[in-house]
Amino acid sequence: MRSRPVGAAVSVPDFVPDPHEETDAVAPPAGQIRPGRYLAIFALIIVGIYSLVFFTGNQKPTPELGIDLQGGTRVTLTARTPNGQPPSQESLKQARQIIEQRVNGLGVSGSEVTTSGRNLVITVPGKQGEQAKQLGQTAELNFRKVVQAIPAGAASGRGPAGTTPQQAQQPPGDQPSQEEAIAQAKQLRQSTDQKKLVQAVQQLDCSAPDPLRGNADPKKPLVTCNQDGTQKFVLGPVFLPGDKIDDATVKSPTQKAPQWGVNLSFKGEGKKTWADFTSQNVGKQAAFVLDTQVVSAPKVNTPQLNGTAQITGQFNQQSATQLANTLKYGSLPLAFDQSAAETVSPTLGIASMEAALLAGGIGLALVAVYSLFYYRMLGLLTILSLGLSGLVVYGVLVLFGRWIGFTLDLPGMAGFIIAIGITADSFIVFFERLKDEIREGRTFRSAVPRSWARAKRTILSADAVSFLAAAVLYVLAVGQVKGFAFTLGMSTVLDLIVVFLVTHPLVVLASRSKFLSKPSVTGLGAVQRMGDRARAARKRKTDASSTTPKEA
Amino acid sequence: MATPDSNSNGNGTGSEPRGGTLHRLYTGTGAFDIVGKRKRWYIALGLLVLVCIASMGFKGFNPSIEFVGGTKISMPAQGAQGQITDEEAKEASRDALGKPASSVQLVGSGGSQTVQISTEKLSPDKLVEVKQALFEDLEPLGADGQPTPNAISDSAVSGTWGGEITKQALIALGVFLVLVTVFLTFYFERWMAVAALVALLHDVGVTAGLYSLIGFEVSPSTVVGLLTILGFSLYDTVVVFDKVKENTQGILGLTRRTYAESANLAVNQSLMRSINTSVIALLPVLGLLFVGAGLLGVGVLRDLALVQGIGMIAGIVSSIYLATPLLVDLKMRDPKYREQAEKVRQRREKKEASGGEAVVSDEEALAKGARSEQALAAAASVPTRTGKGPESRRGGGRPAGKSSGQPTGKKRR
Repeated sequence: MRSRPVGAAVSVPDFVPDPHEETDAVAPPAGQIRPGRYLAIFALIIVGIYSLVFFTGNQKPTPELGIDLQGGTRVTLTARTPNGQPPSQESLKQARQIIEQRVNGLGVSGSEVTTSGRNLVITVPGKQGEQAKQLGQTAELNFRKVVQAIPAGAASGRGPAGTTPQQAQQPPGDQPSQEEAIAQAKQLRQSTDQKKLVQAVQQLDCSAPDPLRGNADPKKPLVTCNQDGTQKFVLGPVFLPGDKIDDATVKSPTQKAPQWGVNLSFKGEGKKTWADFTSQNVGKQAAFVLDTQVVSAPKVNTPQLNGTAQITGQFNQQSATQLANTLKYGSLPLAFDQSAAETVSPTLGIASMEAALLAGGIGLALVAVYSLFYYRMLGLLTILSLGLSGLVVYGVLVLFGRWIGFTLDLPGMAGFIIAIGITADSFIVFFERLKDEIREGRTFRSAVPRSWARAKRTILSADAVSFLAAAVLYVLAVGQVKGFAFTLGMSTVLDLIVVFLVTHPLVVLASRSKFLSKPSVTGLGAVQRMGDRARAARKRKTDASSTTPKEA
Repeated sequence: MATPDSNSNGNGTGSEPRGGTLHRLYTGTGAFDIVGKRKRWYIALGLLVLVCIASMGFKGFNPSIEFVGGTKISMPAQGAQGQITDEEAKEASRDALGKPASSVQLVGSGGSQTVQISTEKLSPDKLVEVKQALFEDLEPLGADGQPTPNAISDSAVSGTWGGEITKQALIALGVFLVLVTVFLTFYFERWMAVAALVALLHDVGVTAGLYSLIGFEVSPSTVVGLLTILGFSLYDTVVVFDKVKENTQGILGLTRRTYAESANLAVNQSLMRSINTSVIALLPVLGLLFVGAGLLGVGVLRDLALVQGIGMIAGIVSSIYLATPLLVDLKMRDPKYREQAEKVRQRREKKEASGGEAVVSDEEALAKGARSEQALAAAASVPTRTGKGPESRRGGGRPAGKSSGQPTGKKRR
């Protein structure tokens, strides 16, 4: 910006320079810019971002990495509602909080539970993630009266007569029929008609997955199996719901009762309900039903007036602890299916990270070589701009990791790599426009502001479309690819910043330097010669007849 | 203006030959008659789309594990006893699972090679057992070179998960199409929006069709990658249409060129740009593909890169050969443009008769092109040019972009 416009007068004698160009030392009028100012703003942005990176938060200049890059476990739970409708935001939020408590109960730092659509995503970094795969159970504990208990051996298994509807359409992958299966099972196994219940007992297959899991109607009777599938039960309606549980603790095996179990205590009304039930039903069985499966069905020996109960069953220390914990934190307001669960080994994480970095490096190098070959000096500007763009992207990435918990995962890295091309594209739109102007007979110098005015629009509209695609995808898509949409969209926005604040000012500076605007340096020789001819032709025309060359 | 530009002395001045195809491509003089031969492109692309639709209908897709459900276990192919072979992996997985796995393969190359075992969905408990058994058998090495069970990765998906992702992706597609139609209609005009959307559908159709035809595996990443192609495909079309819009401003009042010719010039002028942007956009994707498919052999990198690569190529083809010709045909339905084309023809006949400018060289045509563009721009924005003589027309050229260059969104019809 300090260089006087010597070049203009010398290089194109017949060119009448724009009057503005002569006076660019003073306040530049419209069409002219002060490149230094833009570059300074950009420098300020960089300094701003990196001072935030280094002086706030944990001050570590590393972005948050997804588990597919650092290793860990990710479990996606999809809410399963009886009618197939999306669950309410409130119940989803509540479920998230409860699962968060359960995850924290694992004691692995850095674990996280997020909602995405109708899904909850649990991420547990590091190696202790296996247990996270068990956290999705609803843990809805109810107490029902046992009407009838039948050993499952006789009618169970895959006896020829025992094909139930849900058995006929075994898993996996019958999404539309899921609601039907639930409705069917409800109709049969929760019928108030005794005959139907008998039929249900005969048809029930304890080894098949239960569509009713977590979806049973508490007000109606229920036909179900126990957890290990050895017994079938006909149960009365729920007389005491699980939310009346005050506390749950692990019962260690004792001499008298050599079994692991869970001690429960009830709160408020629950105490009285339990006391009443046990006094009225001495000698009968009460079933503890967890997620529609009977955990244990103890016989009531004496009235339990102090409001406590004990669950025993097929427990070991771990499962007893887990059940006690889940009961303590409460049951989920929704039933969840485990849609996806993956454990990425740290080895694979590192390999993926290296692969992505390598891919990015290759991509960047290819782009650099191509633009250097094709645009020479302008190519250099492209590379510089890309480098600066990368600097901003990295800083923003670190900050987003801190502020909104954005984690960079493998699809996210793919997004950045693909965005290299899109960022470079903005430069090319500008440079090609520059060529258009020069071809029409302008000098490099005078072509810059004009081509920028046009290219700006194209870049803005093209980036708007790209951003739109990324934003829609980010808002609506589910799963891992959200990260891809996010980085792609973010790169698009940062691309605008770089092209406005860096590339354009740099090209303006170059156009004002005599050396840098040489055709051998810019690689614009061919179009410049065409521009000369265009000017020559025009000149001939106007010389021949001073009449206006405008036609029509 | 006899003095040659001092800047170009290094590269040899004087009469430049017309140049080969590359030169014409580079300089964009409008030498490729793309719009004129549009029937040819319609037929070619139409056939391609038909083949794609047929393949999707009859052959279908090759869905990944996310769509059918199952468990995938992977580990480095480097074991404590050296390289794990295909046979060893098969045997170990049979022992661990108690039956043969649905597929066991070695993918990738070099140090990144991995063993991939697919089975039906395993319960979390069973999975832990299987992983332990596999570790004892194969002893894969961890990052530190020591065998560790933690080197084994797994991923289990229910059969509905892929469907869930796809459903959301399709909703996103719908929303995007609506928004983009609104955007294009306001930014350009109705027929441009229509042409751009047709090109867009072509890109999606062809990409999906090629997946079906070749039998590439379709994963949720593929589906989402397909959506981001839309952004890119439009990007390219927007760039070309921007030039068409500029070239055809006020064309109805002029008899120099028909709409079709102006559009063809725009395609030519933005041809190199289209090729450049596409090549540059493709280069990183190639890097990704090389690493994703070549080194790793599986995974999200490969899926995204492949679908983006195919889609980008489809996108550039359609923006050049489909979008603009289609736009011309759509425009020509308007009698005003047909009338104008007729006027152009009459004027040329008159000229032919009078013998003037019978032979138009490339250079002449170009000079005329530049001049008429200036005239167009001048016509489009009179105020900025008032009071200036031919001098400034020669030097300053079109008015400094501020008034004529703005997207007013007005249709000049």
